This record gives sequence, structure tokens and C-alpha cells, in this order.
Amino acid sequence: MDYSNPDLPEGINYSKTHPLKEFAILTAGVFGVLIIAVVVLGLLADHFAQYIPYRVETKFRILVPDHDDGPAPLNDYLNTLAKRIAVAEQLPPGMNITVHYVDSDTVNAYATLGGHIVLFRGLLEKLQHENALAMVMAHEIAHVKYRHVIRSLGSGLVIGIALSMLNTSLGNTVVSGMIDQTSQVGMLKFSRTHEQQADDTALDSLQQQYGHIGGAEELFAAIKAEEKLDFVPVFLRTHPDTDARITHIRQLRQQRGQRQLTLTPLPAEFMTWLHSDTAAQPE
Amino acid sequence: MGDLIVFLILLALGYGFGRAAELRHFKNIQKREKLLQSIPAIASKIPDPSLHPRQVQLVAGNVVISVDYFKRFIAGLRNLVGGRVTAYETLLDRARREAILRMKEEAKTLGANLVFNVKFETASITKGRKNQIGSVEVLAYGTAFIE
Repeated sequence: MDYSNPDLPEGINYSKTHPLKEFAILTAGVFGVLIIAVVVLGLLADHFAQYIPYRVETKFRILVPDHDDGPAPLNDYLNTLAKRIAVAEQLPPGMNITVHYVDSDTVNAYATLGGHIVLFRGLLEKLQHENALAMVMAHEIAHVKYRHVIRSLGSGLVIGIALSMLNTSLGNTVVSGMIDQTSQVGMLKFSRTHEQQADDTALDSLQQQYGHIGGAEELFAAIKAEEKLDFVPVFLRTHPDTDARITHIRQLRQQRGQRQLTLTPLPAEFMTWLHSDTAAQPE
Repeated sequence: MGDLIVFLILLALGYGFGRAAELRHFKNIQKREKLLQSIPAIASKIPDPSLHPRQVQLVAGNVVISVDYFKRFIAGLRNLVGGRVTAYETLLDRARREAILRMKEEAKTLGANLVFNVKFETASITKGRKNQIGSVEVLAYGTAFIE
């Protein structure tokens, strides 16, 4: 008998699809569906979280400083201002704002569960007028008003649980890492929507309190000076682009014919308060 | 953001090096297959009774090939949606053909003109480190007939 092997044609045992084509189809399909799922889950959680009664929120103390660093007059001033803004923003009854001042260089301010608002010295000492300070506080109070804190916490939790379930059953670290990244991009969308809403409400309350929205851009100018070295593209950021926020305020001012404005100064002792060593120390 | 950049670099490196190595390997395989076509590899267990080899001897060819980052990533996505894992098809095809070639090369040095009862063993080398190491081992072995 004559034994021989036939001359087999090349490529009969594998597909001829180009790997990059396969890659494009798979990533577009999988991550497209993933982003849709994250957005839908997030929207649902974001929507339903606002039905959690506000008094539930007040039971948590998350990211609330244990003590207020500033001298008593500063705390009084900040809380009085907060009360005025709360009235201007028409906060529902039972929704009380507590302002906390932290003696730290951080240029930041945030709102957390239960109507607590935290302001850092780093941000306050960059502001020149009460209008800008009112803008920060009105922005954070608007987050409380619209229940943004519990809503982002809710959607973050729901999406996080769903993804960890997916990643556990998948068991592939490379793909899991990519899935986490994609979902974060999807979640940032909510964050930016919330920021936009808070900005709009804050500007309305400024208009109501001072008769104009001047001084609001002073806040963003201060923020912008801090983020000089930041090259993160807009779709990867939690907040809208600062330049866009400043432009928006300028446009609004032009529309409303607010050119020459009298800004309300901060109390004369404001800087002294910020740098006083007589700060209430817990003991 | 940093993670994303690292990931994209790994993916690009995986694709670049993996693809280049694969194309080079395929070319090399095709060339050697032509050279060794004179020694057929036969799967049949029972040789023709007319054959009276002077000597028979076990010959084997073994190869281990690793997947690249890019292949592992698209195979991971395939795990989600199902379908042909085309990224691994070329990998296994290369491994099987390379194993046969190495077996035939051994047979050739022995002066054989036929390899009988050819079999394959395939193993994936992971040993509990499922996500870090993705290599496939293919062993081809048979009985070389030396005239």
C-alpha cells in the first residue's frame, strides 16, 4: 500500500476573519450593551432613590467632620447665609442645612447625606465677595434639595453590585477591568447632569437674593486656577467643563443686561476668621 | 484614565507582537511542511502487512505556545456572547502543525519514511493561575517506520 498525506489547503482549520474586525465588532457590541445597561440601571436607581424619606438620610453621618474648625462668628455667618439660601431655593420643610468649615488647604466643597455641607478653607480664601461664597453654598444646597447625594449613592450601589456579579461570574481579570472602566464613564454622565442642575438652581437663588448673578464666575475662576494641570477630557470628568460654566454665566448676564454690578463684600473679619488660631479645638 | 492608557498600550503591544509572530510562524510552518511531505503521518493503527520495517521507534514532537494580551481580551469578550473563538483557532492550528513538524523532523533524523499511529495530546498550561497564564501545549507522537 502507498501511504501519503494530501497537500491540504491553507486555512481550513481557522476562520479568516481579521482579528481587528473581530475586535471592533466584539468591543462595540459588548461595551455598547454594557453602557446602555449601566445607564438604564443608573436611571432607575437615580429615580427611585428620591422616594427614600429624607429622615432616613439624616440618620447617616457619612463624610461629615466631627467638629467645626472655624471660630464661632464664622460658623454663625456661614449658617445664616445657608438659611437665607435655603429659603431662596424653597427647600421643603424638614430639610435643614448644616454648614461645616474645615481648616484645610483643599480647594473644595461638598454636600453629603442629611443636609450637611462641608466647606474647606482652601476654597473660601480664594473668594473675594459674598456672592461667590453664596454660589458655592447655593450649589451644594441644590444638591441637597434634589437629593443628588442619595441618588448618586443609590445608582452607584446598584451599578456596583450588578457589575461585581457580572465580573465574578466572568472570572476574567482583563475583561473585568475594562468593564469597570466603561461603567465609570457611563456613571459620570449622571454626575454631570446633577452638577448642571445644581448650577442652574444656584444661579436662580443668587438672582433672587442679590438681584443679579454677578460674582458667580468668581467661584469658577478660583476653581479654574486650581485645575490648570488637568487635561482630562470632558466625558471622563465628574463636573462640566469649567470654561463652559464661566461662558454660560457670562451669556446669562448678557441676556439679563447685568453689566455693571455691585457685589456684596464678605464681612471685614472674614480673612481673620479663616486664619485665626482661636479656632474651636475639640478637647 | 491611567488604567485605560496602560490597557490600550498592552492591547496594542499584544496585537503587534502577537500578529507578527503568528504570521512569521505560519510562513515557517508552510515551508517546513513542504520539505517534510515525503514522510506521511498516518493515524491508522494497523499498518499494511506488506510493510516490513527494519526498525520501529517512538517519535514525538512537543510545542508550547502562549496567547497574547490581545487574543486573551477578545476571547474574554467572546465568553460573554458565545460563538467561534477565532482568536484561539489560529493558535491551536499553529500548535498542532508545529508539533507534527517536530515529530516528523525527529523521524527524518532517524531515517524513517513513515510515521504510524499518530496521536495528539493537548493541555492548557494554567495551573490555577487562570487569568495570568494562557498557554497551550500540544504533543504529537507516533511510531516511526525505519526501512
